[in-house]
Amino acid sequence: MRLRLMGAGLMAAAAVAVALVLPLGTANAQMRPTAGMGNQIVDVPEKPGYVPSPGEEQLDPAFRRQPVYFRTNEPPGTIIVHTNERFLYLVLGDNRALRYGIGVGRDGFQWAGLQKVSRKAEWPDWTPPPEMIQRQPYLPRFMAGGPGNPMGAAALYLGSTVYRIHGTNMPNTIGMAISSGCFRLVNSDVQDLYNRVPVGTKVVIRQAPEL
Amino acid sequence: MNRIATALAAAGVLLTAGAAQASTLADVKARGMLKCGVSQGLAGFSAKDDKGQWSGFDVDLCKAVAAAIFDDASKVEYVPLSAEARFPALQKSEVDLLSRNSTWTMQREADLGLMFAAVSYYDGQGFMVPAAKNVMGALELGGSKVCTQSGTTSVQNAEDYFRQNKMELELIQLPSVDEVVKAYADGKCDVLTTDVSQLYALRLKLGTPADHVVLPDVISKEPLGPVVRQGDDNWLNIVKWSYYALVNAEELGISTQTLDQAATSEKPDVKRFVGSDGAYGEKLGLTKDWATRIVKSVGNYGEVFERNIGAQSKLGIPRGINQLWSAGGIQYAPPIR
Repeated sequence: MRLRLMGAGLMAAAAVAVALVLPLGTANAQMRPTAGMGNQIVDVPEKPGYVPSPGEEQLDPAFRRQPVYFRTNEPPGTIIVHTNERFLYLVLGDNRALRYGIGVGRDGFQWAGLQKVSRKAEWPDWTPPPEMIQRQPYLPRFMAGGPGNPMGAAALYLGSTVYRIHGTNMPNTIGMAISSGCFRLVNSDVQDLYNRVPVGTKVVIRQAPEL
Repeated sequence: MNRIATALAAAGVLLTAGAAQASTLADVKARGMLKCGVSQGLAGFSAKDDKGQWSGFDVDLCKAVAAAIFDDASKVEYVPLSAEARFPALQKSEVDLLSRNSTWTMQREADLGLMFAAVSYYDGQGFMVPAAKNVMGALELGGSKVCTQSGTTSVQNAEDYFRQNKMELELIQLPSVDEVVKAYADGKCDVLTTDVSQLYALRLKLGTPADHVVLPDVISKEPLGPVVRQGDDNWLNIVKWSYYALVNAEELGISTQTLDQAATSEKPDVKRFVGSDGAYGEKLGLTKDWATRIVKSVGNYGEVFERNIGAQSKLGIPRGINQLWSAGGIQYAPPIR
């Protein structure tokens, strides 16, 4: 496991990309940073084919889906992602939002801004991008959707970018910034979100301030 | 009596016009110690461990002020005070600062001769329900059986809220908090209502705390914050800006982990904060690096919150209304410039 500070070290981290193998769903559960303190990047390789146990799918209370106070000018139905908090908010209006715990990709650190959900898919196929194959050459070039697929139970595609909000077969990575991937939720949460938002939903990505 | 005290304090300031800072700050510096009034023990806010070490959200505010003055957060003498004793102790100068989950009200400023320096924690009445009910907000609670403690402001607030929203309410009032918790745990009511910070504390008494959620709605105002005596504006400013430093640090991305980076930042806001541009702290009788000292000792507002009462703590209170104004809440600090 490698920990890195966010910020200046970030670009260096992106360039170096050393991946260390973690034991499946064991030690990393304890090393997960708690909500609100998300300033570490952890390299965790994808585990295609791995199917988590129901116990693993049970998140820390801090990351479980819950309605929270949330004041915003964005209209109800908007998705707002706070990458440094490791939370995704679905605006409900009346100063409330439904909050989901997420894992964010290192790639996800590099941009902020406005997107729209351009497409939705359940149990999507997975085609790892070339930079991921380079880091983890043993990954499949293609994997059909289903349990064990790192994309998980559903995906919301963001505009014409390569980024998406998706499920995961590694629920222990919720709350982490991991070396690859976009914004990931546990499968029950991504299914819940999938059912609540239509194509065309506004997605706002927010970053930690830069020094 | 308060008026006389205030008049004397004002006269004192006039007599020592040349050394207007010969006041609380001077006393604290001469003593080498900040005397901070805290609660006698309230999980997450101020509590003493077996080794006699104080910690908590309110305690960290004492530490922040001590750090700004002495560059040493341990230079605090904690004075545990009961609810009755807290304001007299401040009035009689037994403490320099009161940081003890106290609600800011007009009466406490106008009548007691005190001033609240800031709202460090927005509390207020909320509702706890079993998570399995899948309730998203308080407006869905119509027709519920609601348990609360009799003789508290929670009774009237709950009645008003339900009436205003045309919801039916069956209010079950019980004389003690323990009975309220028991009734809720036994399923005699669907909802428990009291101040949100207390709901999280009571939740810990239930079998599986995570099976219960506190709804996002806050239906009353209980703004908590540090208090000082009237008559020493500079001291009020020191306490106020110590708190603002915590909030501004979080907003600027300055934390215990990024302090080194902040020191060499070229961003104007950050430079003013760390003191590499300007000398804002010196005008208050502090040093250029006053704000850096604070973050070095206790972290920024978010770190203080998470460590003591937030996700990293037993209480597990979400930031909610106490999130920064720029991130969904109402915590807001004027800029350092």
